[in-house]
Amino acid sequence: MKRLLLSLAVCMMIVAPVLSAHGAEKPITVGFPMYLSGGGAVFGKPSSQGAMMYVKEVNDAGGVLGRKIELIVRDCSGSPEEATRVAKELINKNNIDFLVGGLTGSQGFALSEVAKQEKILYIAPISKPAEICEPPKLHKYVFRAAANTKTEGRSAAVLMSKLPITRIATISPDYSYGQGVTAAFVERIKKLKPEVEIVHQAWPKLGETDYTPFITVLMASKPEAVFCSLWGGHFITFTKQAKDYGLFEKFKFVSAGEGGCIESIKGAGDDMPLGIISNAYDTFYYPDTDWHKDWVARCKAYTGEEYPSSWMGTGYDAMKFLVEAIKKAGSTDTDKVIQALEGLIIDSTAGKLTMRAKDHQATRGQYWGTVAKVAEYPFPILQPVEYIPADDLMD
Amino acid sequence: MSYDLPFITIQILTGLTNAMFIFLIASGLSVIFGVQGIINFAHGSFYMLGAYMTHQCVSLFIHSPHRFWAAVVLAPVVVALFGGLIERFLLRRLYGREELTQLLFTYALVLILGDVIRIFWGIEQFSVSRPPVLKGAVEIFGQFFPKYNIFILIMGPCVAFLFWFFMLRTRWGRMIRAAAQDRETLNALGVNVNRLFTVVFILGTWLAALGGALVAPATSIKPGMDIDVIITAFVVVVIGGLGSFWGTFLGSIIVGIVYSLGILVFPRLSIVFIYVIMILVLIIRPWGLLGRPLTLER
Amino acid sequence: MTKIEKWTVLAILIIIALIPVYGSRFFVFLFTDILIFGLFALSLNLLLGYTGLVSFGHAAYFGIGAYTCALLIKKAGIDFMLSLLAAGLFGAVGALLIGFFCVRLTKIYFAMLTLAFSQIIWAIAFKWNALTGGDNGIMGIDFPPYLDSKVKFFYFVLVVFTTSLIILRTIVNSPFGRVLVAIRENPARTEFIGINVKRFQLLAFIISGFFASVSGGLFCMFNHSVFPSFCNWSMSAEVLIMALLGGIYNFFGPVIGAGLLLYLRMESTSFTAYWPLILGTILCLLLFFFPGGIAGFVQDRFQKWRAAK
Repeated sequence: MKRLLLSLAVCMMIVAPVLSAHGAEKPITVGFPMYLSGGGAVFGKPSSQGAMMYVKEVNDAGGVLGRKIELIVRDCSGSPEEATRVAKELINKNNIDFLVGGLTGSQGFALSEVAKQEKILYIAPISKPAEICEPPKLHKYVFRAAANTKTEGRSAAVLMSKLPITRIATISPDYSYGQGVTAAFVERIKKLKPEVEIVHQAWPKLGETDYTPFITVLMASKPEAVFCSLWGGHFITFTKQAKDYGLFEKFKFVSAGEGGCIESIKGAGDDMPLGIISNAYDTFYYPDTDWHKDWVARCKAYTGEEYPSSWMGTGYDAMKFLVEAIKKAGSTDTDKVIQALEGLIIDSTAGKLTMRAKDHQATRGQYWGTVAKVAEYPFPILQPVEYIPADDLMD
Repeated sequence: MSYDLPFITIQILTGLTNAMFIFLIASGLSVIFGVQGIINFAHGSFYMLGAYMTHQCVSLFIHSPHRFWAAVVLAPVVVALFGGLIERFLLRRLYGREELTQLLFTYALVLILGDVIRIFWGIEQFSVSRPPVLKGAVEIFGQFFPKYNIFILIMGPCVAFLFWFFMLRTRWGRMIRAAAQDRETLNALGVNVNRLFTVVFILGTWLAALGGALVAPATSIKPGMDIDVIITAFVVVVIGGLGSFWGTFLGSIIVGIVYSLGILVFPRLSIVFIYVIMILVLIIRPWGLLGRPLTLER
Repeated sequence: MTKIEKWTVLAILIIIALIPVYGSRFFVFLFTDILIFGLFALSLNLLLGYTGLVSFGHAAYFGIGAYTCALLIKKAGIDFMLSLLAAGLFGAVGALLIGFFCVRLTKIYFAMLTLAFSQIIWAIAFKWNALTGGDNGIMGIDFPPYLDSKVKFFYFVLVVFTTSLIILRTIVNSPFGRVLVAIRENPARTEFIGINVKRFQLLAFIISGFFASVSGGLFCMFNHSVFPSFCNWSMSAEVLIMALLGGIYNFFGPVIGAGLLLYLRMESTSFTAYWPLILGTILCLLLFFFPGGIAGFVQDRFQKWRAAK
């Protein structure tokens, strides 16, 4: 038994170099490292599904430039060095032509660096820190299809400025994303409504398990409204703990971090606070246009889920930007595709998006709305809801 | 913002609640180490399993208003029995081997259990709500204090006293304490120490899963929750002194209070609080607050 | 080391050195990674296998090394090789400061204190945005002009690795090394015969920290970026598993463990999403069937074969 195990291991190691040789005409390969195990998997998985669905649609229609697209999805969990390692493996072993992926902000930076070093085109479908696409970290090979901390914070500020309040408290996880979104929010709300006062800023650590000491301090500062950028499981834990303090009844609540996505709403269960304002990348129930209904139907058919995830669009649109750019360039040469991608406009799952040439960011807005119970669905949805475009919020 | 006395009182109560949450999670770890000398990394995994099982039980009895209580009773028992099986058929083979081996095994358990949970329940986030009788808040000094927090504030010391009573006053408790002191002699006296250790492991796992069940209404049930708590659990057990059950209780209180008051003074340094506490404690008292020097050979 | 072992190691080193010649660029990448983490695991094993000190916080020095190297290169414009040396020295100093407190404790208390200090280092890297870039990390650590290709960098890493290997081997075989083993076996008795156990443990700590930091500096250049996660306990756990997998009572065990873990992970993640399950199962198999790690098993077999001749 022992000998068998050991010999198997040794054989694998000897045979492996031989297997790295390659054959003839290959498809266009795209590497897709994504957060598929652990806390972020709940968003990483649908993102990868969106990418896979798009690739299937393209391949079924004949591919691109006569070639099929091969999407290699790999788990890189949540750490940036794992993302780097997976990306480099995909580049060196699978000879990928393009790189799309990463979920956390630091993974966005890590993959951006890989792209710069390996001179390969990289599109970030989810990573939000604005600095990724700002000098000095911006370079020619990195693009972002997602929203960023600035547009998200500023959208929240726009909505907050419409409320009849002047005292605002913020609660955000104390790391790059939370700091970035909150700073953007504060800067914009002060511009829109100069009489606003930020009475308190709570900074629980990322991955906090007990928010109650922060909740009590925040409430004691007597705000009229709260801005929050906790996301995913952190948001759910926070709402469960905050509920009985009456926080959501006492104050207006605006939450960035996609609290309005189905995963967060369902994940909070009966404890999802009603009446708060939050956002999502997509809402399967809005808008009622033909192209959106078709998108939702395709998502349903592909995943088999009755209520498709709002995160599918992130992977889908990132891949669409890439493939449309390849089509426009008429080639898979990296420099030509980069040139084609700059300024490219696509019909995304959120309407028309432009990939800006000046900072390689897509004008990706989000859907914002108020959480409300409705008769049609067994869980709350955002209603009323609107799409806030990012075009005017990016600079 | 001025911090007046009512506010500080609430903040301390909040810290104590947090302390009891931590204690409920960490107590099982203390028991297993105190008696068997095993550092159970998989403790967080059993906690997570307890939470997932609670969700499962609540879903099973979805139409009953008492579903939460049923889950709190049922889930830890199921997980504890599972823990017993693991101890009996796997862990027991490693007794007598060096500590590093047992450490590595419990770490391997973390990896395996994490993925087993992922296979059964997927990557979705689940929610368990507070039972109807514990919803809402009471007013203390003009501030709201959740009823569920009061419940936890009572449960923590209850579990502690229950355990103290069990260890000090029952026959099983006496045998377990004896096994912690000198297992060879106990064996020579005709007691089946191996079976005793299974009982202890079941007890520790039961406590972990109970922690998971009681924390479930206050957290998101999702992959990675085992990792979220294991470091804190280890820290409080070490601060209190390994092998000292009351030490874990004390350690939890210190961590809870320092946390809730610390953020008033250092609002952005909460990331280091528990580590600073542990460093200070271990420098002043190398065996933890209530710990005894470890014997060289076990 | 017997003659056969010497020749085997030499042969393996030569095979590795020839990888850029006959292997794909993937293998250059993989083995650079393996050599760096092999060095990291070797440094840990000086504490773990030889001195008997279980450290849960070894990533602290890896991180100190990586950040020192990165900051010196990016902010002070200092040459890579000098930065690498400085990284090692900073790591040694860090190990001195941290080790001073840690060696006063034993067993699990020692381990938890090393963890606490490494988490403090992680927290500093995470929060000191101005210096370390926070969790956005430091990017753009480019190859120096004299190492401007991956193959050249691979050879550089191989040279650093081999040099460190020889130094560590010498240390381990010296009287100092033998005292460490005595301390591991029975600290009380060693103290009794007049050895200042704590001083020796601290020295082992410092040497271990130096080499861990060197490996961190190499990694920052390999990765071209540095992140706080380099200092996190999960990185400490990873290198600990590497050492245990390969076998901590064999000098080369940790390197084998590093190679095996990195290789197995890469192979597994290409066809399954359940790598933790596979790793956990492998560890269990190891514990129940190969208690000495892979290296222990190989050594055991080899000795049995020789005895049978």
